[in-house]
Amino acid sequence: MNREKWLLAIALATTVGLGTSQLHAASIIDEWASVKAPPPPPVKEVTVDPKTTALVMADFVQPICSRYPRCMASLPVAKKVLDAARAAKVLVVYTSIPKVPISAVVADVAPNGDAPFVQSFTDKFLNTDLEKILKDHGITTLLMTGVSSNGAIIETSSEATLRGFNVAVVLDATSAATTYAEQFVAWQLVNGPVISPHITLTTSDKLKF
Amino acid sequence: MKPAGPLLAAIALTAAVTGAGTLAARAGTVIDDWSDIKAPQPPALQSVTVDPKTTALLVLDFTHQICNEKNKPRCVASLPAMKNLLAGARDNHVMVVFSTAGNMTAKDIWADVAPAPGEPMVNSHANKFQGTDLEKILKDKGIKSVIVTGVNANGAVLYTASEAAFLGFKVIDPIDCSSAENEYIEQYVVYNFAHAPLVSSMVTLTTADMIKF
Repeated sequence: MNREKWLLAIALATTVGLGTSQLHAASIIDEWASVKAPPPPPVKEVTVDPKTTALVMADFVQPICSRYPRCMASLPVAKKVLDAARAAKVLVVYTSIPKVPISAVVADVAPNGDAPFVQSFTDKFLNTDLEKILKDHGITTLLMTGVSSNGAIIETSSEATLRGFNVAVVLDATSAATTYAEQFVAWQLVNGPVISPHITLTTSDKLKF
Repeated sequence: MKPAGPLLAAIALTAAVTGAGTLAARAGTVIDDWSDIKAPQPPALQSVTVDPKTTALLVLDFTHQICNEKNKPRCVASLPAMKNLLAGARDNHVMVVFSTAGNMTAKDIWADVAPAPGEPMVNSHANKFQGTDLEKILKDKGIKSVIVTGVNANGAVLYTASEAAFLGFKVIDPIDCSSAENEYIEQYVVYNFAHAPLVSSMVTLTTADMIKF
């Protein structure tokens, strides 16, 4: 190889090297169209211990759920899980956002009697008694259902693990505005740093009470 | 009915059938739809002029253990932009707060983006507000906006920025200063800040060189 070719090779290698860092410097927006999703994560069977598990019904309230067709479509599944949890005497906790009361929960999955209820934005532990309510009942595992996957579900599930709880997310009873958001959240919950060792993905059919 | 009527009716019918398809697919889970899911369009980036008196720069977890060529080359590639942003913040007397995770300390942070004497540090897992004085550190200085940078995009950045939004801070995310192990994660986190409930109303997406002090 002559000198010119060597120089060209070095220049090319340098350009490629620079190109990579510049791509990042220019931001992910430039790579947007070529991004591929990783393979789907495993969905596992979960056997619920009624003494130490709580079912969280996250934000199944009319003003939120009715905005998301996928939430409305998840209600039959959520009702099935709720009925099974009640039959097994599992603690059921309802959540909503500030200013939207428990009476706004959609009728299909409405609370019985005096179900614990907390109101907060997407992280339901923030400025609520949720951690105390759960610990007072001896709860160590949360079963998450509700809306939105990239709101209450990801934030509350993640925060729960940081507070020492294990979490099982019932995929077919959770929803978001887009399947893209649901996809990432499913992936993140079992791959994200710190949180993933404590989270399992499941479905209503794989739950045993 | 105008000539367009039947066409519109056909579109409506198609929409109804598609809708039914979505409902039927809903009986399963997103796992069943996995390979058909496409990313939405990228969000727009915006120039930002920050008020140095009420803005803090959060520099999260740039430690050698987390940010290295072997595990996160994209983090190492983000260091030059991060270094420039940090220099710009310090030149303009913007408060800078650093973080580490687990048993890491300030000594583990890359020298280019390490804390100077007197700059505050917090240590926590993904959400840097949890179990730390971060909220107090910021509010005591009258901080109203935070520029969130760091690694991982789907760890410290995602959870700290989200929590900041819930606590009432405006969030500025220079997306070239947060990184993850792959571009799928970075893409989603950017989408999330543009679209997630509540958080999206508090976040401005930008790049390091689009921030003016």
